[in-house]
This record gives sequence, C-alpha cells and structure tokens, in this order.
Amino acid sequence: MATSALPHADAHGHEHDLSFIRKYIFSTDHKIIGIQFLLLSLIGLFIGGLLAITLRWQLGFPGEAIPGGGILPETMAPGGILLPEFYNSLVTMHGTFMVFFAIMPLLVGVFGNYLIPLKIGAPDMAFPRLNMWSFWIALPATVLMISGFFMAGGHAAAGWTAYAPLSANPEWTGVSGGQKVWLLSIAILGMSSILGATNYITTVVNLRAPGMTWFRLPLSIWALFLTSILVLLAIPILSGAAIMLYFDQTIGTHFFDALDGGQPLLWQHLFWYFGHPEVYILILPAMGFVSDIISNNSRKPVFGYHSMIFAMLAIMGLGWIVWGHHMFQSGMNPALGTTFMVSTLLIAVPSAIKTFNWMGTMWRGNIRLNVPMLNAVAFVAMFVIGGLSGVFMAVTPVDIYIHDTYFIVAHIHYVLFGGSLFALFAAITFWYPKMFGRMMNSMIGKVHFWLTFLFYNLTFWPMHNLGIGGHMRRIYDPSEYEFLQPLQGMNTFITISAILLLTTQMLFALNFIMSWFNGEKASDNPWKDNGVEWTTPSPPPHGNFPTVPIVYRGPYEFSSPLVEEDFLPQTRKLEGDQEPGAAQNEGDR
Amino acid sequence: MTEGAHKTHPNYWAIWGWLLGLTVAEVFVAQTALPRQLLVLLLLAMAVWKALLVALYFMHLRFEGNRMRIFAIAPLPLTVIVVVAVLMEFV
Amino acid sequence: MTSAMAPPANREIGSDVYNEKLGMWVFLGSEVMFFTALIGSYIILRFASPEAFAAPGNVLNIPVTAVNTFLLICSSVTMVKAFAAVQDGDQRGLRMYLVATCAIGATFVGVQVFEYNQLVHHGFVPSGYVAASEYAAQAGTPGWPESVGVYSSSFYTMTGFHGFHVSMGVLCMSFVTWKAFRGKYTQTDHRGVEVIGLYWHFVDLVWIILFTIVYLM
Repeated sequence: MATSALPHADAHGHEHDLSFIRKYIFSTDHKIIGIQFLLLSLIGLFIGGLLAITLRWQLGFPGEAIPGGGILPETMAPGGILLPEFYNSLVTMHGTFMVFFAIMPLLVGVFGNYLIPLKIGAPDMAFPRLNMWSFWIALPATVLMISGFFMAGGHAAAGWTAYAPLSANPEWTGVSGGQKVWLLSIAILGMSSILGATNYITTVVNLRAPGMTWFRLPLSIWALFLTSILVLLAIPILSGAAIMLYFDQTIGTHFFDALDGGQPLLWQHLFWYFGHPEVYILILPAMGFVSDIISNNSRKPVFGYHSMIFAMLAIMGLGWIVWGHHMFQSGMNPALGTTFMVSTLLIAVPSAIKTFNWMGTMWRGNIRLNVPMLNAVAFVAMFVIGGLSGVFMAVTPVDIYIHDTYFIVAHIHYVLFGGSLFALFAAITFWYPKMFGRMMNSMIGKVHFWLTFLFYNLTFWPMHNLGIGGHMRRIYDPSEYEFLQPLQGMNTFITISAILLLTTQMLFALNFIMSWFNGEKASDNPWKDNGVEWTTPSPPPHGNFPTVPIVYRGPYEFSSPLVEEDFLPQTRKLEGDQEPGAAQNEGDR
Repeated sequence: MTEGAHKTHPNYWAIWGWLLGLTVAEVFVAQTALPRQLLVLLLLAMAVWKALLVALYFMHLRFEGNRMRIFAIAPLPLTVIVVVAVLMEFV
Repeated sequence: MTSAMAPPANREIGSDVYNEKLGMWVFLGSEVMFFTALIGSYIILRFASPEAFAAPGNVLNIPVTAVNTFLLICSSVTMVKAFAAVQDGDQRGLRMYLVATCAIGATFVGVQVFEYNQLVHHGFVPSGYVAASEYAAQAGTPGWPESVGVYSSSFYTMTGFHGFHVSMGVLCMSFVTWKAFRGKYTQTDHRGVEVIGLYWHFVDLVWIILFTIVYLM
C-alpha cells in the first residue's frame, strides 16, 4: 500500500520493512515525532504543575511542613519545610518547565509536526530526518534540565528570566551547577526549535498540495507558520545571550556584571527581545487552533478570515517592538519607555479584532458544545481577561505600581493557562481521534473542563486582588510583611484551589490514557470537518495520502448552500470547480 | 532557477578584485586620523558594500525573485531595532 | 526532464526555490539573529563602557587579520567558482575549486588559532588581562584600558563563535568535496554544492562585518 505512487516517497523505502526502532523510536514520520513530543511535553506539563503546587504550599501555609515533604532532602526542605533557596528554585523551574518544556513543545512541537503536512496535503515535512533530529535534541535537553535538581546547590534559582547579575554569580544565589545546566539545556533546546522552525517554514512554503493557495490555508496553519518565523528569529537571541551568561559564570567574562564594565541591563534587553516574541509564540498557535475548532463547532465559516490573518501578521510584526514593557522599572531610558508604551497599546488592537471575529463566528451558528468547543470558548473568554489586564500593564505609570506583583502573575496565567492551555485541551481532544484512531471520552472531558474552569478561576482571579494589594512576586514568606498579612487568607485560598486544580488534571490524564486503549473507534472524520487531514484514515498511514490531494476551496465552508451537508471539505470536487493550475492568479501562490 | 539563466556567469574575478580593493581601502582608512564619526561612517559603508557584493553576486540574490530577497532581508530590521534601541540607554 | 533543482512538482503552489535551498536561506535568517546578539552586544558594550576597550591596533594584530580576511574572501570566490563549474558540467573545475575552498577555509581557522595563541601569550584572555603579563603591564597607558574584561569577553565570544561556524563549514565542505570526487554532483543536480555555498558565503559575510567593527574601528 505504501509503495504505490506516493510523491516524494523516494527516501522512505518500504514501510513494512522498517524495524520497530526505525518506525517508532528513531522515526522520520512527522506523525510519530509529533506524538513523541506530545508524550514528552505532557510529562513536562506535569512536572511544571507539581512544582507549582509545591511552591504554592509555602505561600498558602508559610512555614508549615508540606505533606509528603519527607521525601525531599535536607538541602531542599528539612522536616518538610521548604527552604527559601529551594523556594526560589521552585519558582524558577516552574516557569522554565511550563514555558520551555510544556507549552512551547505542545503548541509548536506537537501540533506543528502533526498538523502541518496533513493539513496542507503533503506526505511529510520537507526535511524528515532533520525533524527526527529536532526531537532527539529536545529529549537530552529535557533530561539535562531535570538533572539540575540533583546538583549540589540545587537547581537554578534566579527566576525563569535569569536576570544578571544575580544569575551570573554563584555566590549570590548559592547555585552553581544548576544555573549552568539551565543555560546549557536552554541553548540545546534552542537548536531543536530552530531546526524545527526551518523545517516548518520550508514545508508550508513549498509542500502545499495543488490548489492549496495561501488564502485557502486553515488558520491553524497560518498561525503555526507565523509562529515558526518568530521562533526562527527570536530563539537565536536567547541562545546568544545564554552563551554570554554561561561564559560569565564559567570562564570569567564580564558581559553582565557591572564590576568590570559589564551591563546588567544588556541581559534584560536581550532576554526580552527574545522574550516578547516568545510570548506570542506561546499564544498564536492556540489562536489558530481555536479558530478551526470554533468554526467547526458553530458550523459556520470563520468570521473575517482575511482580517484574522492580517491580525496575526500585525501581532507578529508589532511583537518585535514592545519588549521594553517588561522593563519599565529597570531604570531604562524613559523616552524609550514611552515608545514601548505606545507600541504595546497598539498591539492590543489586532488581538481584539481576533476576539470579535471569534464571537462573530459563533453568532447565530449551529453551536455544538462538545469538549473541544467548551475549551475553545473558554480560551476566548479567559484570553480577553488576560488581555485586558495586559492593557493596564502597558500603561507605564500603572505598571510602576503593579510590576513584579501578583497582578502580573495573574495576567501571565490568564493568557497562558486560560489561553494557551485551554486551547491545548481543545486541540488535543479535537485531533486525538486523528492521532490515535479513538475518541476521548466525552463525559470525562466535560467534567474535566468544568472542574478545571472552576478551580482555575478560583486560583488565578484572586491574584489580581493580591497584586493590587501590593503582594510581590517570587517572595518566600509574605508573613514577614505587615501590609501583606491581611491578604494571607487569599493566599491560602489560592493554594487550596491550586491543589484541587492539579488534582482535576488527573481526569485528563486518565481520559488520555484510557481512551488510547478503550476509546470509541474513530472514523475518518468524526467532527465532520473540512480540513484535508480528515480525508485520510484515523490514524493516517505512512505517507498520509494514497494520491496527492487536490484542493478546491478554503477550509471553512460550513453550512454552504452548495451542498446538503453542513460541511464541504476542501478536497471535495463539485461540478463547476476548476482544477488548480487553470488560470490561477500569479500573486496567489 | 534553471541552468539556462546561468549560461553567462557574473565575472567572479572582477568581484574578487572589488572585494580586495575595498579591504585594502578599509585598512588604509582605518589608519588615517579622520574625525571619528566620518571614519566610522566610511568604514561601515565599505563593509556594507562588500557584504552586498557577496550577497548579490556570490549568493545570487541579484538573480533570484523578490520572494527570496524578502527572506534574506527580513531579519535585518530586527538587527537594527535591538541595537539602536539599546544604544539609547547609553547615549 | 525533471531536475531536483527545478521548482517542486506542484508548480502553481510554492516558491521558485527547491526545498534544500529555501531551508538554508531560512536557517541563515536564524544565524543573522544569533550574530546580532553577539555583535550587537559588542557594539552596545563599546558605547556603554568605552573605557574598557583598547584601541584595536594595540591588542589585536591587524595586518595578520587583514590578510586572513582576504583569504576568507578568496575562499568565497573559489566556492562560487566551484558552483559555476558544476553548473557548466565541469567536474574537474568543481573538484579543484572545492578542494581550494576547504584548504583556504582550514587555513583561515589555523590563522585564527594562531592569533588566539598570540593573544593569550601576550596576556589577553576572555576574562581580561592575565596578571603580570606583557599586556597587563601596559594597562593605564593611552589606548590601553585599566581593565579590559568587557573587551576581551566580547572579542573572544564573537570571533570564537564565528570561528566555530567556519570550522563547521570546513567540515561540511570536506564532506561535499568528498561527494564531488565520487561524482555525486551533476549538471542537473548539484543542490549540495549550492547549499554549502550559501552557508559559506554567509560566514564570509559575517566576517566582513566583524572585521570592520572589531579590528578597524
């Protein structure tokens, strides 16, 4: 079957001849690599969550022994009571794992890999072997990062932002090996991302099926494509900066320490020049998935398809000139600060356009409130809240008050959890049948959604209040501060909600694992969607399509008057449809 | 691009000559006692000229379509933005 | 006749450029940003702490590096001549010019190593002056900073990573040369030659900028 006329199949050989290792471990098949990233990053997500609960314990119950804390060594938590140094590590590693080893690989590594070739009608990525390398570089980077916990002095403890000079000098954090391992791991992971981005960009530009013009691409693919450009251009900045910081720590260079002419602010500028595009990397793909899912479950085309694309382009472009808003308090040049305030306020506009478009998509649609849709709608609502708090921060005088408080933490989590993670729950549930040939259990999915939504809001909403009350970020013992004592009750409340939130995720894990073996078998197109990936079996064979798909229209032709069904796949030919290549516009390629 | 377009190659030795000449000129200019700003401007101009020669003729951007040129140029504004913005901290 | 270097099969969709070439250009975009971080930092630190930077001619060996710059440019010429040769179906020219490129590239790296050796010998290491060394003795005199740590840090990091990129280039170039000797590149399919060429020219381009900014200004 796989040896018939598959285009670009030259290097694949005969599928059934490959050993287990070549087929499932060192695979060059984008679908297997996507699933490998999925398993790895779900582990990363779990680790990130555990770290969060541990640090929340200290905030909720300062100075009390954490249940089960006996297993932690004396250097971290003697008698189960977290040490301040360990707490700093927890805060740092929670951010690190969530950003680099959970959300980013989930959005880009998993769905970029899995969806791009399928949705554009290609048999695989442009560079399948390079793709394999991307994963097999990410894995040791992850292992290296985990190893930091076992180093003398503990893991990195200078925040996920690793500000110099704190991060540059082991004397000041007490951490030596951990910080070095952190930097090395990030640099190695960066290589994996850059190679992946190169692959995705080349694939989307060159490997689209006949008829799949730019303006017939699903928004999930547009989002992944634009995200890849951001990854390509932003990650190397971090790599460069991390290398310089690493040298500061190991061979005595002086990039960032003021004692010898170095410039601590240089680190901040370099880090955030990467860091701001990074946060758009963490949200754009989510926006793309949500567009596909909301359109599908409203049985309506995306409202304003073109403006969605232009909005993403605007976000991608403006995202490069707003980084200073992370640094309003740093002592940076105030004139520069003003320009950042203006650009940051501007960037709220395209996001708002997208939000209205999602609502416009749902308006008067034939709404199906299945699990992906519930999570996708939650994304929109929670992202709006996160975006609104962002507007407060954009305004420099306001930010001077709320910078480094829990108001910022609330914002981060509304966009990253309320935004990206809900979108991921939606996307995983939506594309699970294609990946594994089985449906996830809908009842468990709904219970998981509602409980998560509840506990998530109970956990993160009060952080807005804490922040306005002046509660600082990353502090070990709020009870030391008299003005924070009235807020202690809120801290405890948040901690309890967080524990319940993490526990609820067991439902998702259970659903994921059980459905793999016992889930209802999935048809080719269980959601009655228009995308090209639904024209092939669940899961697709190696090479994806027995013959090259031909695309006749865009991906959102739901409830079309041309056909009886309420969906009209991209590859279905109707009378009067022209074959691609016949008098196409030059500019439309 | 197909082979047909390269029936006549650019004169690579001529480009080499230009690059050599510009390098010599740069070293020469660097030794002079020109006012600092003028010196920097001249040297940068020559360096950029050399870089353009390499990019246009050796990397064949001169003969590629606009799309390729856009890919090549795209990162450059980002370079300028970060350097200029951070320099404003110290000027 | 289909050529691997012709645009992809679905002619109406996609760019005019075959996958490997597009991929290399895209990758070079990331390299531009990487060197931006390093060279940009040098520029910024120079502005921020001018007192930490020696006059280039004092610490660095300009004549030797100028010659090295010229060598690298020569290797770029031999590289593009190799590419032109295989485009014309001249296998002998291809092999000859590729060998020349490897040789000159390796020489460049060798000269850099020599330069580093000299600098360390004189007492200029990534962390600054070496105590009681020849260069340290000059500290405080005109053109010689009291403390040179920032200068040495950025100098070694920039040129070091450039040298690393050249070394990787030489390795890949050797592989391409070996393949050329085995007759793997033809007039209709010589993608590997073009792609390594792009990388090589890029490395030369970075050096052109680096040499000017670091050695001449």
